[in-house]
Amino acid sequence: MIEFFIDGVPCTAETGQTVIQAALSAGVRIPSFCWHPNLSVPGNCRICMVEVEAEGGAWFDIACNMPVTKGMRVLTDSGKVRELRKDTMQFITLNHPVDCGICNKSGECLLQDHHYAYNGQPSLSRDSKTHATKFYPLSDRIMLDNERCIMCSRCVRFTDEVSKSRALGVINRGDHSLIRPNEEVDFNDDPYSDNIIDICPVGALLSRQLLDHARVWYLKATPSVCPGCERGCSINIWHRKSEWKLNALDPQLNTSIDRVTPLENPAVNGPWTCNKARDLSRIFERPRALQSKVKSAPADLAAAINAATALIDASSRAVALVSSWGSNEELAAFHSTLGGSFTSFVKADHVPVPGERIEDDVLIKADKNPNRFAALAMFSALPDDAASAFPADTDLVLVWGEGAPWSAIPSSARVILLTSYDQPENVRADVLIPISVQTERNGHYTNFQGTITAFEQCFPKHAPIADAASLFEVLYSSTSRVAGTK
Amino acid sequence: MKHLVPEFETWKKRYPAGFESSLVIPCCRRIQEDRGYVSDEDIADLTEYLGVPRIQIEEVLAFYTQFRRKPIGTWHVQLCHNVSCSMRGAEGLLAHLQGKLGVQPGQTTTDGRFTLSTVECLASCGTAPMLMVNDTYHENLNEAKVDALLAALSAEYQT
Amino acid sequence: MSNRITTGGQKLFMTFDITPTSHSLAEYKARGGYSALRKALTEMKPEQVTKEVLASGLLGHGGAAFLAGRKWGVVKLNDGQPHYLCMNADEGEPGTFKDRWFLENTPHLLLESMLIGSYALQGRHSFIYIRGEFDLAYRRMADALEEAYAAGLFGENILGTDFACDLVMYRGAGSYVCGEASAMLTSLEGKKGYPRNRPPRLTVAGLYQKPTVVNNVETLANVPYIVTHGAEGFRKVGTAESPGTQVISVSGHINTPGVYELEYGYPFADFLANECGGMLNGSELKCVVPGGISTKVLTKDDIMPLRMDHHSFVAAGSQLGSQGMIVVAEGTCMVRLLQVMLRFYHHESCGQCTPCREGMGWLERISNRLVAGQGRPEDIDRLYQISRANDGTTICGLGDAAGYATVGILDKYRNEFDYFIEHKKSMFGGRLEVAGIGDNARLVDAAVA
Repeated sequence: MIEFFIDGVPCTAETGQTVIQAALSAGVRIPSFCWHPNLSVPGNCRICMVEVEAEGGAWFDIACNMPVTKGMRVLTDSGKVRELRKDTMQFITLNHPVDCGICNKSGECLLQDHHYAYNGQPSLSRDSKTHATKFYPLSDRIMLDNERCIMCSRCVRFTDEVSKSRALGVINRGDHSLIRPNEEVDFNDDPYSDNIIDICPVGALLSRQLLDHARVWYLKATPSVCPGCERGCSINIWHRKSEWKLNALDPQLNTSIDRVTPLENPAVNGPWTCNKARDLSRIFERPRALQSKVKSAPADLAAAINAATALIDASSRAVALVSSWGSNEELAAFHSTLGGSFTSFVKADHVPVPGERIEDDVLIKADKNPNRFAALAMFSALPDDAASAFPADTDLVLVWGEGAPWSAIPSSARVILLTSYDQPENVRADVLIPISVQTERNGHYTNFQGTITAFEQCFPKHAPIADAASLFEVLYSSTSRVAGTK
Repeated sequence: MKHLVPEFETWKKRYPAGFESSLVIPCCRRIQEDRGYVSDEDIADLTEYLGVPRIQIEEVLAFYTQFRRKPIGTWHVQLCHNVSCSMRGAEGLLAHLQGKLGVQPGQTTTDGRFTLSTVECLASCGTAPMLMVNDTYHENLNEAKVDALLAALSAEYQT
Repeated sequence: MSNRITTGGQKLFMTFDITPTSHSLAEYKARGGYSALRKALTEMKPEQVTKEVLASGLLGHGGAAFLAGRKWGVVKLNDGQPHYLCMNADEGEPGTFKDRWFLENTPHLLLESMLIGSYALQGRHSFIYIRGEFDLAYRRMADALEEAYAAGLFGENILGTDFACDLVMYRGAGSYVCGEASAMLTSLEGKKGYPRNRPPRLTVAGLYQKPTVVNNVETLANVPYIVTHGAEGFRKVGTAESPGTQVISVSGHINTPGVYELEYGYPFADFLANECGGMLNGSELKCVVPGGISTKVLTKDDIMPLRMDHHSFVAAGSQLGSQGMIVVAEGTCMVRLLQVMLRFYHHESCGQCTPCREGMGWLERISNRLVAGQGRPEDIDRLYQISRANDGTTICGLGDAAGYATVGILDKYRNEFDYFIEHKKSMFGGRLEVAGIGDNARLVDAAVA
């Protein structure tokens, strides 16, 4: 450990740390644009310049590339440092278009924040701003505005160092420099591409599908876990704040996912996530199963539960296909209740779709289900030859979740289906009970490393649908097996 | 670019191992010498041959002033307009060239013979004003010498 | 008849007549070439060579005037890492053309210096980076390299010793900023010429992050002489704080522009009268940009009393810089001169760091507006402020350089700018061409002997 001083206050740094890293650990925020704790140091924005007191005279340099030395006396807010920051802000905003009124980054923009904190003055320039491409399609997903870009190179370094797609670069030079994807637009194939939207300190990189979708200050972020694979990245699901709900429009808009961003979790995903997490609305907002059914005729929830109870009572050979999207709580509830009445197998509710990356050494795992780890701790896995899971005399199959191997289920067996989505195969169910999705309740998943992470409820349930955990309790307590009469 | 590979292979011998990336610039120059510019196909071939990210080659071609992605005139007339040359008559020569060739800097004559450019210091200030045609310096110029040069180059150009 | 200039003190380099064959291996050897290499390889240890270079007081000739031996001394011998010696022949500072003289006329001297330097630094591979536009220089150097290889001076077992060295003649492709040492190395790695932040120093992590020494052409050219004559012999030339000679390029409104070798300490007044041939066509001296446009301008009164050495020029508020002197006659518009310089810096900025990327364009736009007669008094404040905001705040010295050029000219010729703003025109008709140049759109051939 190295002892030194920041603004007169004693601090410690680990060997090899730079001043900006040590300052961050000490809770001192030195502003930066180009520096990011998870990327290499380019030292190009110059906003992090600090003063170092020395006998021969103070010297000034960027804190992001300044190794901490013993006894160093760093000043982060001296008069000269403030002057340097003002100069830097003048340069950064020199040709930056004042697009705030129409720019999606407004409200979460580092440039806005640093401008007001460190400059706050109008431009000293009397010459017109330079112009560059606006609305450049960096990929199918991301729009680039070169005028707003401050050339921090975070996006390029991300593709060099984290996603390793090497798909972005800087062409030309001087103030004609432009961020560009390589001409094969390999960036379309980078499943981590959207992380650059988060780390861009200005509104130069924006999601095309979310362009002008909503002002960030109308949204709130609810911590959750991405169910897209067994990495279980921590994410924030953004949705409309209740005080900003839209009265005049479709009420669905008030309970939909506005966007998904990574939630920093050093143990699981760091500050990143993959594009599948960004597109979670494609999973959660598929047409829902909201209506209980008995033999394909609409029924109320109570009638459906009764019908299901009757089937369980009547069966002598029952098999359950357990959802690998069930939360820890739901799995435990099934295990301690109905689990005793069924021979249970964990299925993979989701498998990789064509074109989806299977696995890599960044984040993406091959198993596209969030909770197989917890499920397999309690139940066996469904064999590859699914038919072998069903003895010849199977008379009842409980299907929980999606992805059941319907063709392997004996046609003579009755089926109780607990599902969230309206899918064609639902007609096979003798009893269908709709259940809630992750965003409609609290719970936990256990990822492939055994790390348990919580997800929180974002939305109320749309309709009278069941939560699986309590449903299992109810079914269990209703069956005669509980009463011990069988 | 594939016919140039044997030449590239001999160059590799002088470099330490692991210096493939360094070959981007000399290979691009050689390709341009051969074709007159670097084509999209050349970029794809060079990416594969050197095993560097494609974007690195695209960046290099855009960063350095001597590289071209498109063909230009047979004779690239590059007039220095930096300090010493401007002090010794470059600006007058530029006007003269524009008049003679009928083009502005950055443009090519309609017959495809001459492309005119203004360039920064070519380290020939002692023999200013001067210009470079393709790779050759022409120094100690005045209007008469420029006219003679253009005439000689025109004669060399076969239609 | 000899084509050599005899004034200017002792010569270390311009000691032979330039002929169509004087650059060949045979003639270089006939002049004693490669004997320094033999002495270094057979009579000296690598660290002794470095010690001699350090003791000689040789200062860098690339513009920074850093003690060359100190840079060599930082490289740890026998550390198990490759060491690279790189010669910086990316001469691009406007007004400077003296390295070109070495490349075209003494290629073998440079190759010998690379061999001695690589020996001292335990470098197995070495590089010479030549700016892309130097076609003749490149071909001379490349041909000389093949001559040297064929004569067993490169490759394995050089001169029968176990010293081995390979050299790559590398050509740039048009970028002034690649003359900055770290940018040059990044370019040598086959990438855009982006300068690097320090730390780490290049002698610790340079080319492909390995210990690298970058030296200017002329700096290295001095090494064979130092090896042959020793540090003491070298120190007999020049002055105590500026030992040796400088090969200076001079141009502008003088009668005989060119490249001249001067012993340090030579009076400027003599230089102007002798080597420069006096002011062009009887014009009067106005000012001098002493060492490339990135050095501060010196007025006639500033410079006439000076001796040409580092100490004197620094004391006068400028520096010898890249040894590219531009002599300016009365009647030249300094506002227009600055405009040309600022256009250059804007064109050459690599674009990485904020103050330079935005500042260079801003400086050029203001100067263009001034010259178009649309300047305002606050524009002068702005020019000073942009210059100050680029001083010591950037990744490399390009931003600082534009600042020095700007502040140097503003400090001495503020009146011309004020005049331009007030009257919306130049004090001197916007002229850069004076003394008969351009009057009839013809140059007087006799002016260039």
